[in-house]
Amino acid sequence: MRNTQRIRWLLAVVGFLWFMPSVPAQTPALYTKWENFTTANGMPDAKVFSVAVDGERVWAGTENGLVLIENSKVSKVFTTADGLPNRVVTGIAVDQKTGDVWLSTFGGLSQFSGGKFQNYTSMTTGLANDIVYGVAIQDDFVWAATTAGINRLNTRTGEWSIFSEKTAPMHEPWSYGIAVGEQKVYVAVWGGGVLEYDIAGGYWKPYNDPDGEMELVLFKNQGLIHDIVSGVSYNHDTKMFWASTYFGMSGYNGHNWFNYLSTDSGLASDFVNATQTRGDDVWACTDKGLSYLNFKTNTWVTYRPNKGTGKGEIVITAPDKKLTKIETPTSLAHNYVLNLAFQGEDIWVATAAGLSHGIHESHKEGKSHEQARASR
Amino acid sequence: MKSASTALGRRNSRSPSVLAAIVVAFVLSPAWTGNAQVDSSGSAAQPNYLTPIAAKFSPDGVMLFVACEDDDSVLAVDVRLQRVVKKTKVGHKPKDLAVSPDGKTLYVSNEWSDTVSVIDTTTFQVRKTLATGWGPRGLTTDRLGRILYVANSIGNDVSVIDSATGTELKRLTALRSPHYVQLSRDGRRVYVSNILAHLGSPDDSPVSELMVIDSQKQTVAERILIPGVLELRHIAEAPGPQGGYLLVPFMRPKNLNPLIQVDNGWILTHGVAIVRPAKTAAGIASHSEVTQILLDDIDRYYAGADGAAFTPDGRYALITHAEAATVSVIDTKLLWQRLRSVPAVDLPDRLDTARQIVVHRLPTQSNPTDVVVSPDGRSAYVVNRLDDSLTVLNIPQFKIRTQIDLGGAKEISDLRQGERLFHDSKFCFQGQFACSTCHPDNHIDGVAWNLETPQLGRDRVANRTLRNIAETAPYKWNGHNPDLETQCGPRIAKFLFHSEGFNSVQLADLVAFIKSIPISSNRHLSFDGQLTAAQERGRDIFFRKACDTCHPPATHYTSKTSFDVGTASKYDTSGLLDVPQLDRIYEKPPYLHNGEARSLEEIWTLYNPTDKHGVTSDMSKEQLNDLVEFLKTL
Repeated sequence: MRNTQRIRWLLAVVGFLWFMPSVPAQTPALYTKWENFTTANGMPDAKVFSVAVDGERVWAGTENGLVLIENSKVSKVFTTADGLPNRVVTGIAVDQKTGDVWLSTFGGLSQFSGGKFQNYTSMTTGLANDIVYGVAIQDDFVWAATTAGINRLNTRTGEWSIFSEKTAPMHEPWSYGIAVGEQKVYVAVWGGGVLEYDIAGGYWKPYNDPDGEMELVLFKNQGLIHDIVSGVSYNHDTKMFWASTYFGMSGYNGHNWFNYLSTDSGLASDFVNATQTRGDDVWACTDKGLSYLNFKTNTWVTYRPNKGTGKGEIVITAPDKKLTKIETPTSLAHNYVLNLAFQGEDIWVATAAGLSHGIHESHKEGKSHEQARASR
Repeated sequence: MKSASTALGRRNSRSPSVLAAIVVAFVLSPAWTGNAQVDSSGSAAQPNYLTPIAAKFSPDGVMLFVACEDDDSVLAVDVRLQRVVKKTKVGHKPKDLAVSPDGKTLYVSNEWSDTVSVIDTTTFQVRKTLATGWGPRGLTTDRLGRILYVANSIGNDVSVIDSATGTELKRLTALRSPHYVQLSRDGRRVYVSNILAHLGSPDDSPVSELMVIDSQKQTVAERILIPGVLELRHIAEAPGPQGGYLLVPFMRPKNLNPLIQVDNGWILTHGVAIVRPAKTAAGIASHSEVTQILLDDIDRYYAGADGAAFTPDGRYALITHAEAATVSVIDTKLLWQRLRSVPAVDLPDRLDTARQIVVHRLPTQSNPTDVVVSPDGRSAYVVNRLDDSLTVLNIPQFKIRTQIDLGGAKEISDLRQGERLFHDSKFCFQGQFACSTCHPDNHIDGVAWNLETPQLGRDRVANRTLRNIAETAPYKWNGHNPDLETQCGPRIAKFLFHSEGFNSVQLADLVAFIKSIPISSNRHLSFDGQLTAAQERGRDIFFRKACDTCHPPATHYTSKTSFDVGTASKYDTSGLLDVPQLDRIYEKPPYLHNGEARSLEEIWTLYNPTDKHGVTSDMSKEQLNDLVEFLKTL
């Protein structure tokens, strides 16, 4: 290569770097393309409480029925007329072994199998209460979070167990969410912190705000950030559980706590409805947008629609707190986010105004989850 | 018409000549042990009956394997020799069989052992035994023989087993009492039929379910509802280009009509569901079409529709009527003409269908529960459960070629005779039903019946089990029958059979049989009998709440008297009701006299508003769950 050519090439590279958008060096995957499912295109209700992915299928629990999305379309809406026990579907868990879909509703627990609903209520079965907020599958057991405690159904024997303030270390029975970990089951208890059930030992271990005063933890990473826990998730890659509270978000790896507030991190709001995690990715569903934390780099990204422009807004918070804003032509259906599910590299987000599909476009975005996982 | 069993010279043990022959044989042969078994207590047990219940052909059509439930054995019948050539012992109460696609392995479900015996068909030895769910019955492999599907009749689920390792991969939820399993001809689906229907309101007709499993994913693809029927039995899929549909025998009850009403088809009909499966197994809404036809004639009924098979060309379908000792042969060309000419909505109640489509009614021996057609399509083999024999039919002439004696005891004991009577519909007006029609497997049919009052809907009562009831007199929900002789004699004759009923000898045999009906082991108890913590807590509640006042443990948890526990509805004449026994109560939903309670929980959550059925309103949900867990151990 001649020197002049070398110089031109070098100037071109320097020029590109000089004029390229100012984004942090360790940019996580960004979702710049969003596809929304709302009442305008088939959803039975604006409010989507829950979402779950089952291969190519996406299930969404709304305030007015269960929705099945296939091939980027609402293919079926199930209502109480189809056998759903209640119109409000708060949680969804797909049993990967049997293919059955379990639903928590405001009218009991339901098993969707072979196109039919089998319902379990407190009158007919051992379910503690018909207001069920969360459901999870652990081998042959179905766990349900109800307002009267935690239920466990042994699907082989039909035995129902109830764990409440009478039988577990919880002063409040009102349970919100359940996550299955490594030989452990975690439960989010409103006002009761996080409960950890040891499957082999059959005992509970509570995680509470260490000062016990129903207030924010006094020191940043002293313990669970708050006892009013709205949801819990388990990261099988990092062996951590994450708790969403209405006063911040906590992660725990068995030794150390990692607490986040909107004032000291890129978290969009302290009012966190749910968390979902995998690999280095931690997602927080808040009332002011969907926040993402790359746990390894401490880089934050928040997604929310811009009410003024109708476009999307991405705010990147670098570890040094430097902010970068990116405008996107599409965005979440609403900034009030209730839950999230992964579908490969895509994400599905339940919001107060519809279900949003974040489409991964690898040529525009940073390192994918799978790539990150492979390089770990 | 002379009964088939009489025509073939069935002998009764009370015959003096038979008794004399037995005595002579015993005296002349010091080493004689006959076919009788002696139990550990030293008392003479029953003759060694085989009680064949199911049969399957080897892929080459040379061997016919037969499961014998009372002998805990499997037989291999060489169809060229027309005799049993091999036998091996398996687990307790073998009920069904499956042959691997390569023909090298035979799987046998052992209902009371909760196992499947894996038999090498070359050596005819049990190679290994696989654990299953509770009460395994119907089973099949997938097309490659890699996955074994087993219907668990007591667990109400289907075990999915890796046939190479024997590992149970998962269990799929079935409905109630799944008994029969069939792999589709294209290998894509596994069908499972349930004996009992959905638990619903006693005011509604029953709705049964045929479960469809996607054999690629081993997940439930579809649940096909079949309204108005009970006791879905064997599943046969029509072969050939005109095939693709299923025949599933059923019983169609009119249980909401007063039983004393004899006109308009009376209360029971028998037929088959014709199911045309969905083209795709999408796993959501069912697209299968279901039609029902009756196989009864207008003045003669064919109870106990059970076995089902097609000829290889799909031209004929054979259905056994286990309680009428008959095989019906359906010409499928005529069947389709019938389906095209009569609206589907009318067919389930039309009693003129059979004469249009049934081209042969062939007599069999007692209780034909299964039929298989040889791969060459030249013969059909009918399994005569209570005759220890096979009836062989020529195809397409549909003539009885021969009987194959499978080798069981020849003398007919009182109990055996009673069991035959129990399964024989000829004592009922027009042969409409037998005792076993409403008590499949000596148990329940899961619905409530309007038995003895002429008013529609009054005094409707749920069917009660016949297992282990010898010491639980009096009988009936109102406790008016002091003994089984009353129950099974004049009462059945007058109110149920509308016939002369059984004579005194027959009645004695029948009652002896019913009193001998055993009960299987309790699946909710651990092997060592130790209660779990929840069961122990429940036991404490049971006695603290004085449940044992009416349900004392010493007498099968029944005080054998009547109480008013506040469960009578406005349709009941009296609230005074017999206290039911609680043995294996988990196998008996629905509960209460009218079948209103779909679960044990509902007895107290919905139907004990005034605390007359025990003071339970002060119980927490946790305590109620514990009580239920204890009740399941009884």
